Amino acid sequence: MRAPDETTIKAGQTLLSVQNVSLSFGGVKAIRDVSFDIKKGEIRAIIGPNGAGKTSMLNVINGFYHPQEGEITFKGVKRKKMRPHDAATGGIARTFQNVALFRSMTTLDNIMAGRTLRMNKNFFWQLLRYGPAEREEIEHRRKVEEIIDFLEIQHIRRVPVGRLPYGLQKRVELGRALAMEPELLLLDEPMAGMNLEEKEDMCRYVIDVNNHYGTTIALIEHDMGVVMDLANRVVVLDYGQKIADGTPDEVKSNQAVIDAYLGVAH
Amino acid sequence: MAQNAIDKSVDTFPKFLLVNARERGQRPAIREKDLGIWQTWTWAQVKDEVKALALGLKELGVERGDKVAIIGSNKPRLYWSMCATQSIGGVPVPVYQDAVAEEMVFVLQHAGAKIAIVENQEQVDKVLSMSDRLPSISHVIYDEPRGLRDYDHTRLKWLNEVQKIGRKAAESKYSGDAWEKMIAEGKGSDIAVILYTSGTTGNPKGVMLTYDSVVISSQNANAFDRLTEKEEVIAYLPMAWVGDHIFSYAQSYVAGYTVNCPESPETIIEDRREIGTSYAFAPPRVYENLLTLTMVRMEDAGRFKRGMFHYFLNHARRWGEKILNKEPVPLGARLIYWLGELLVYGPMKNRYGFTNVRVAYTAGEAIGPEIFRYYRSLGINLKQLYGQTEAAVYITAQPDGEIYADTVGKPSPDVEIKIEPSGEVLFRSPGVFAGYYKDPEKTAETKTPDGWVKSGDAGFFDPKTGHLKIIDRAKDVGKLNDGTLFAPKYIENKLKFYPNIKEAVALGSSRDFVTVMLNIDLVSVGSWAERNNVIYGSYQELAAHPRVYQMLAEHVDEVNKSLSEEGPMAGAQIKRFLILHKELDADDGELTRTQKVRRGFIAERYGPLAEGLYSGAKEVDITTELTFEDGRKGTVSARVKIQDMKTHPPAAAPMDKAA
Repeated sequence: MRAPDETTIKAGQTLLSVQNVSLSFGGVKAIRDVSFDIKKGEIRAIIGPNGAGKTSMLNVINGFYHPQEGEITFKGVKRKKMRPHDAATGGIARTFQNVALFRSMTTLDNIMAGRTLRMNKNFFWQLLRYGPAEREEIEHRRKVEEIIDFLEIQHIRRVPVGRLPYGLQKRVELGRALAMEPELLLLDEPMAGMNLEEKEDMCRYVIDVNNHYGTTIALIEHDMGVVMDLANRVVVLDYGQKIADGTPDEVKSNQAVIDAYLGVAH
Repeated sequence: MAQNAIDKSVDTFPKFLLVNARERGQRPAIREKDLGIWQTWTWAQVKDEVKALALGLKELGVERGDKVAIIGSNKPRLYWSMCATQSIGGVPVPVYQDAVAEEMVFVLQHAGAKIAIVENQEQVDKVLSMSDRLPSISHVIYDEPRGLRDYDHTRLKWLNEVQKIGRKAAESKYSGDAWEKMIAEGKGSDIAVILYTSGTTGNPKGVMLTYDSVVISSQNANAFDRLTEKEEVIAYLPMAWVGDHIFSYAQSYVAGYTVNCPESPETIIEDRREIGTSYAFAPPRVYENLLTLTMVRMEDAGRFKRGMFHYFLNHARRWGEKILNKEPVPLGARLIYWLGELLVYGPMKNRYGFTNVRVAYTAGEAIGPEIFRYYRSLGINLKQLYGQTEAAVYITAQPDGEIYADTVGKPSPDVEIKIEPSGEVLFRSPGVFAGYYKDPEKTAETKTPDGWVKSGDAGFFDPKTGHLKIIDRAKDVGKLNDGTLFAPKYIENKLKFYPNIKEAVALGSSRDFVTVMLNIDLVSVGSWAERNNVIYGSYQELAAHPRVYQMLAEHVDEVNKSLSEEGPMAGAQIKRFLILHKELDADDGELTRTQKVRRGFIAERYGPLAEGLYSGAKEVDITTELTFEDGRKGTVSARVKIQDMKTHPPAAAPMDKAA
């Protein structure tokens, strides 16, 4: 496995910034006054112990939760309230901690489903099937086949995903997210529950996606080795608060991070 | 094709390419499934692609005689690389793509490759990681650019870029028919390819084959099975293996037929089904896997389907081969077979991708007779052949209508075979190799001055059929004291085809006669015991049961009978046998981890039993140490009976038919 060259990362502008965001569910404060940014073209990791608020943070970014305080700027546009659907059309795609695919549909159809937002012809054209709708479908299929080729899942193209082993399901899910051609890809524990070989494969795909499509990636991960190898920058959450932010090396030697992971009395 | 065969001036593969582009320019030459669709290149298109690549290589400095390594799975561009290299007088050296870096470095160094053409990032990484030990390599060319964008491209080139360079050169420096002139400079006696064989001991050896030998082998093979430009084959076996080189490259160029490259190694079964190959080649395990897959799936099928499947399969078992061999078959049986074709055989062949298959070969190792007959009974013309890299594959093959599960066929056209007194098979043909690259010593060891090549395999001609049978590696074949040939593995394999026998160890080298130690198969014998009210308390007790001895004695007798009918093997019949009181186990060092018996070790460990087999004793006491699964050691003592067997007189062989 190979970490991307520092020089190749476009020192792009900020793609998404989170400013002083707080989120609470009733009396539980899930996120407290967190700020960080994601730069275009980088792989940004969000780490932290269990219950630190990582998944909540991801849900805030893609509009599933609405923070009570703070604001989020995506592509220079401030947004206060939006639905996940808007986030998706806006160029944010994600995968889930526990695989969320259409189990009885084939790999091909699952990934094709990821193209739905990019279908322009309306329902009636598609009902007609021929003409513009057909041309459009062929174009989409082409994109989907490129993704299948990219993720090396040709052999399961026609297999219902419910029958696939977990590692492959995760890959299909990544494929579906890629089908949206997102600008920002959110991965919620892409390597959870995988064996070493599957993890190494997944790491390679994440790097390749970043490298080949130039997709900005924000990922949550528990495996520190993976994070240190993949990420350009890491933000560390603990009890809903940001306790560190920086390159993997900086974060690794940060005392607050060590305390959070090893546990000290609060 | 016939035309090509006569035209002696067409003696190299680039020349065949020009002929194909001229005579069948619009016919498909090669296909690759990419993005879910079969992409096709015609012979005319292939010519253009190869030309661009060849001139590109020329511009990168490939000279006549230079070696070009080709590393990757079966892809059109890698096959073109082979022809492109040959067209400018270079020698392609295909390398096994799954070889570890160490092995690869040996081959690349030994061949002194100037350029490596590789499939993808994985192979690029491998070659670059050893670049300090490979000073001869000036450029690495890759086919699949993915992941390689940020690499240092001073010595690295994308294949498309090389072709671009070539196309530019074709308009200036090498305009007109400059390339065709380069091709014309090639001669049949030049080295066409160097194929490294993975030696079981020591380093791989580079087998040099001339154009003449590869072309003649291919022409003979095409004529033997009447292959035309209409064949479809699927290329999925390693390109560095002589079989693939001949089937998917040489024979295709000579006959002009179409080669199909699968989408990925995992999709071969599906791809084969879509293509419907007409000429197939696979090692036995491929056929085994297909059959196992079928049987497993059928177990999950509904009762009606399962019943239908088994009914027609039984019918096919009885009549299928006879119909395939064009023997007389009653009309009723034919009608039911026809119905079966409609309902079962046809759909199944379609699944296997064998609907259009005319000839299918298996080679490499012995195929189980059951598996072999299964495919033949469905009407698939599955045959066996025997080949080696040193012979450009073909040594023997089974002609249509003369198919046996346990032979490898008759000498292929133009091949002479003789059997040494030691049992070793020697062959001579126009297809034999020119020598091992940079290794005249090994060449002299293997190839006699008058052209005979030692195969390293022991075999004999079956007097009944006139076909060659391969029995074992020559070095494993011993002799009885009276000079009779003794091939332990051959005897053991015959015994192991019985489900009741799990392992067999044959003794006899430098002894007076052959004896065997057997292991019962607990599952099979256990279920027999249940059905026949045989009561036993332990493995040891079951193994020593008189009725088990009686049953195995029948098996041994049958083996003796079949040995008696096989000419030189008749003297190696089993005189005495015993059933071991414990299962042979890798933990005790009796089997290798790949479940092969370690004959020498067993003879030593069970010394008293081996002695008993030759001393005439009726019973022998033995105590052996054994290792339990958790690593503890214990001992087991037993009294093992030894059974005498009678042998059969050698059957009078109808030699006239063999000749």
